Amino acid sequence: MIPSYLKWAAAAGTVVGVAFILAVPKWTAPSAAGIQVGPPPTSMILFPQGQKVEPVSQLPPPPLPPVAASGQLSKAVYKNVQVLGDVDQAEFMRLQEAITQWVAPKQGCGFCHTGEDYASDAKPQKIAARLMLSMTRTINADWSNHIAPSGVTCYTCHRGQPIPAETWFPQPPKPAKPWVAIQQPYNESADTVRKFFPDNGWGLFYVGNENISGQSLSALPDNQVHAVIVVTRIYEMMMQMSDGMGVNCGFCHNSRAFWDWSQSTPQRWTAYYALRQIRELNNNFLLKLAEAIPMKRARVNETTLPVIPASEAGIQNGNGLAVCATCHYSQPKPMGGADVISTYPSLVGSPLPHPDTTAQANSVPAPRQEAEAK
Amino acid sequence: MARFHTLYTAIQVTGPEEEEIPIEGSTFGGRLGKPITSRLLGIIGETQVFPVYLGITGVLSLICGFIAIEIIGLNFLAAVDWNVVRFIKMLPFLAIQPPPAKYGLTLFPPLAEGGWWLLAGFFLTASILLWWVRMYRRARALGMGTHVAWAFASAIWLYLVLGFIRPICMGSWSEAVPFGIVEHLNWTATFSVRYGNLYYNPFHMLSIVFLYGSTLLFAMHAGTILAVTPFGGDREAHEIADRGTAMERSALFWRWTMGFNANFESIHRWIYWFAILTTITGGIGILITGTLVDNWYLWGVKHGIAPDYAVISGRPDILPPGMVKLPSLATPEGFR
Repeated sequence: MIPSYLKWAAAAGTVVGVAFILAVPKWTAPSAAGIQVGPPPTSMILFPQGQKVEPVSQLPPPPLPPVAASGQLSKAVYKNVQVLGDVDQAEFMRLQEAITQWVAPKQGCGFCHTGEDYASDAKPQKIAARLMLSMTRTINADWSNHIAPSGVTCYTCHRGQPIPAETWFPQPPKPAKPWVAIQQPYNESADTVRKFFPDNGWGLFYVGNENISGQSLSALPDNQVHAVIVVTRIYEMMMQMSDGMGVNCGFCHNSRAFWDWSQSTPQRWTAYYALRQIRELNNNFLLKLAEAIPMKRARVNETTLPVIPASEAGIQNGNGLAVCATCHYSQPKPMGGADVISTYPSLVGSPLPHPDTTAQANSVPAPRQEAEAK
Repeated sequence: MARFHTLYTAIQVTGPEEEEIPIEGSTFGGRLGKPITSRLLGIIGETQVFPVYLGITGVLSLICGFIAIEIIGLNFLAAVDWNVVRFIKMLPFLAIQPPPAKYGLTLFPPLAEGGWWLLAGFFLTASILLWWVRMYRRARALGMGTHVAWAFASAIWLYLVLGFIRPICMGSWSEAVPFGIVEHLNWTATFSVRYGNLYYNPFHMLSIVFLYGSTLLFAMHAGTILAVTPFGGDREAHEIADRGTAMERSALFWRWTMGFNANFESIHRWIYWFAILTTITGGIGILITGTLVDNWYLWGVKHGIAPDYAVISGRPDILPPGMVKLPSLATPEGFR
């Protein structure tokens, strides 16, 4: 016979346990409505309602009212206009106002400009803004395979903050210890499972040109080099992609054959160009930005510190690079795919003459294409 | 007063401890501990606890196991700079990785690059094998069959395939599983993706069948025995030879339910073999992955077990620039 005090203890324990489970964790009840994106047996189903919404504005601000053309180019009116010189002066001022609203609504013009001399390049923020403007114009001009028809503005990443909330800070390699292995840099402050994954693989694909192919493409072994580590790194990078867009693998892939383009969705084509766009942005713009304005962070995942020209901070000490989440903020299309570019045509244009970017044909730089096919 | 004694009306007897049989050829240690009785344990099992028999293999097994756990635990602690709070927080993520591919099957790579993994693996394996010997010998000492030891050996087979036999066949320790909670789970997912989805591996399918089948048979058998306990069904070993109403009722129950029934003897063979075959087939499935088959999905296509699905509409007809049907799988420099 079970003693009665044990029964009471078991009952009390059950009540306490159930109460703990119900009360302590934060519970949500997302809608389970799914969208089937593949043929029926594949379970390629998206659950948009269940995705975590990032705490940034997910809608673009209303565009500023259009202005009548002044008939003068901005470079004829203002000094030291390097990127937007061929834009009409009135439209130039409208854009300046919009940029302030997108990037530095609290700080105002003084965030980039000094005192009375708006032509001065004294503030590193102004150098950064020029670089970023030419980046935005490059994206809108060259990467329509990824961002058309909605286009991008400063707001796509910044969402009203001087530093975009979701940038990637490559961590400096940890010093090796003679006896103990270096651990994988899991993201300790992750709030979703996909965010837990280490970022070891990101640099290989978001900065470097590594091929994303790790699965064997023949049924039987054919003396190819086998390394699970390749798939591990791809996995980590793909988890960022998945988390950054708030989708699962089935958004692009049929998971029974990840590699097979013939079983993939059209979104995989978009993602192909997106990845190459990110590589260009990181190599040609954001690494240069990091040289111009190294940022220093108190903690690894602290992204809200203001930009400081820190002579003591090197590139490796922290520079925000772009990943999928930087624009997407866990949405399949940033801001629901709203058209943001048609009201700001001056944000489409050729970039600064630039040895790395001028040689580009439509989307894919020729040398990278070779690397891809090797 | 005598009472009808079943699983439901168990009487916890507190009295003279059970006399155990003498042990022949006890080499080392022998039996340890004075018998005690526990009312709490009596609810879920026997009331008497101890003595335990360790013997030479038990002692060596515990020592080897202790060394393995120490190597893993101290590596984890060192990795977080001996900070106990960080150790607890990071415990799921800490890991000891096997040596990178460049070391092949080297027995003594640097400690920080898989050396500890080999050491921990050696002592853990030694501990497990010694425990197996101990189980075998204890069964023999009691004049029992050695069924339990062989069931355990089936699990050891899968363990050895994952960490020892398959890496040797592949020519690299880097193919083995890391020691670490999240890391070994990640390894599992990555391994399946790398080899084109393990679901198309027929031995993986068999292993799942036996695994799920084991739980099903276990539930059917345990449920049946508990259900006929009021008729003496919990004396099932007795009813194998001498059928009583408990056996007749449970046999009729299943014959009525599904037309066929196991008997009190064969049901144990069913469950025993289902359990054992789970890890035997699982081990075979792992062993032939990468050695004989490189992409299970394509293998499935080749043998007609992977169906074609409807084409997804809206897709461009041509591959993006630079994308080719069969890119190389050579490991680039940057992957470490």
